[in-house]
Amino acid sequence: MKHLKSLNKKAQLINKAISPEEVEDVVAMQTVVGCTATTDPGWELDPFGGLGSLCQPMESDLYGCADACWWPAQVPDTMNTYPDWGEGVAKADKDWRKLDGIFEDAE
Amino acid sequence: MKLNKLFKSAGLFGSLALGGALSAVAPAAMADQEYLLTVTRPNQLHVIDMSTNKVARTCDIPGDFGSGIMSVHPEGTHVFVLGHNWEDVYGFDIRNCDVTFHAKQSTPTLQVKSYQSLAVSADGKELYTVQNPVKKHRDHFEVLEPRLAVFNIEDGLNAKPVRTFPVDRRITKIVATEKGEVVLGGADLKAINPQTGEMRTVVKLANWERGPRWLQPDAFAMHTQGNQSNEYIMPYSTAKFTDDSMNFETAEWWWGMARVDLATGEVERRELFPFEFIIFNFVSDPRNEEILYGSFNTLSKHDIRQQKTLAVKEMPHTYYTINISGDGETLYVGGTSSDISIHSSETLEKIGSIQLTGDMTTADMRVATIKD
Repeated sequence: MKHLKSLNKKAQLINKAISPEEVEDVVAMQTVVGCTATTDPGWELDPFGGLGSLCQPMESDLYGCADACWWPAQVPDTMNTYPDWGEGVAKADKDWRKLDGIFEDAE
Repeated sequence: MKLNKLFKSAGLFGSLALGGALSAVAPAAMADQEYLLTVTRPNQLHVIDMSTNKVARTCDIPGDFGSGIMSVHPEGTHVFVLGHNWEDVYGFDIRNCDVTFHAKQSTPTLQVKSYQSLAVSADGKELYTVQNPVKKHRDHFEVLEPRLAVFNIEDGLNAKPVRTFPVDRRITKIVATEKGEVVLGGADLKAINPQTGEMRTVVKLANWERGPRWLQPDAFAMHTQGNQSNEYIMPYSTAKFTDDSMNFETAEWWWGMARVDLATGEVERRELFPFEFIIFNFVSDPRNEEILYGSFNTLSKHDIRQQKTLAVKEMPHTYYTINISGDGETLYVGGTSSDISIHSSETLEKIGSIQLTGDMTTADMRVATIKD
């Protein structure tokens, strides 16, 4: 980045924002649960920077993330807005193909 | 379904009736009966006879699924379940599936959710939740202050709070002590007197004062463990930096816990053993409080006096939660998916499995003990 120069205000703001000193650390699992309160970084990496300590397989964790509204960006929020998302699918590891995406425009 | 319920019902009733007959002739031969309780999708409470590891009874829970967190009545005959999208509390007689208690916390204009916070008083008369209310205005939501709600269990199917007291935000799992307090698991561990609302700090966690070389602890507070040892465990992870550069690469990483003795209300906070893999929940051995078992992608056994991990067993999938039989010999590893994995606490070897009709996801796995 040091060889690139921002040309407009927005780019300058982005440059400021990505400075490590300007960004607060993401702190995992601070004894909270519920929509928008959780600060877990996501499904991508575990605390060791690898994959081995993520929930396995992903299907085992699907409802655990949806029901607690743990990661509402990755799975529908069944606690509040989509309580029927898992209807007819009692076992996610068996019937995960029946779990559809959420399409706001279709409503 | 009805036939299935009837059959399962007959199984438990049969064993109870048989137990009654036997106790009439040989009371000394009868032992306390333990039942493992859990909730699965779509929305059932399962009562598992821990002497046979078979499902004795399946009870339909009204409303929608979630969260399935539970609190068992001290007599062991009833369990209270947080249901209907984390809003309602239902009480069940586990001997016949009768719904004996219902508290509807929300109204059309006030959404009230409880995040895993459900507890029954030690005398079995009161039930506690932490309510997180949101007022639904015509054009916006208004987040109101959280509060402890106290219900009389004898109020039955239309129970309303008889007292409320303001509490901190971010409270999840709670428990009642024999001293009459309710321990509130939040950023720090606090205890509230449910008669007066008076609060005290049990032990600081997020706000602990151990100097800059100790990382603020990170606690996972989804499940209330410890009813077999009459305790409450709040596990945490932390790091001790080697110098003031606070280098994460060279820091010592530790598992720790705050453990409350429910008989006395006293707490110990200590580091347990090096943090080498993720553990969601711990349960202690009822025979030896220095031995802990943990579950997640592994089942593990730890001697916390020596700060050592004694054994680790890879599991076929993630299991959020764990519980143990009263004799300390058998571990039940569950939550997440639709099977409970049964293991020897001595060797961690798998000795059985219980298949359920749906995923447990966030639900609890609690033990109800019906005394002889």
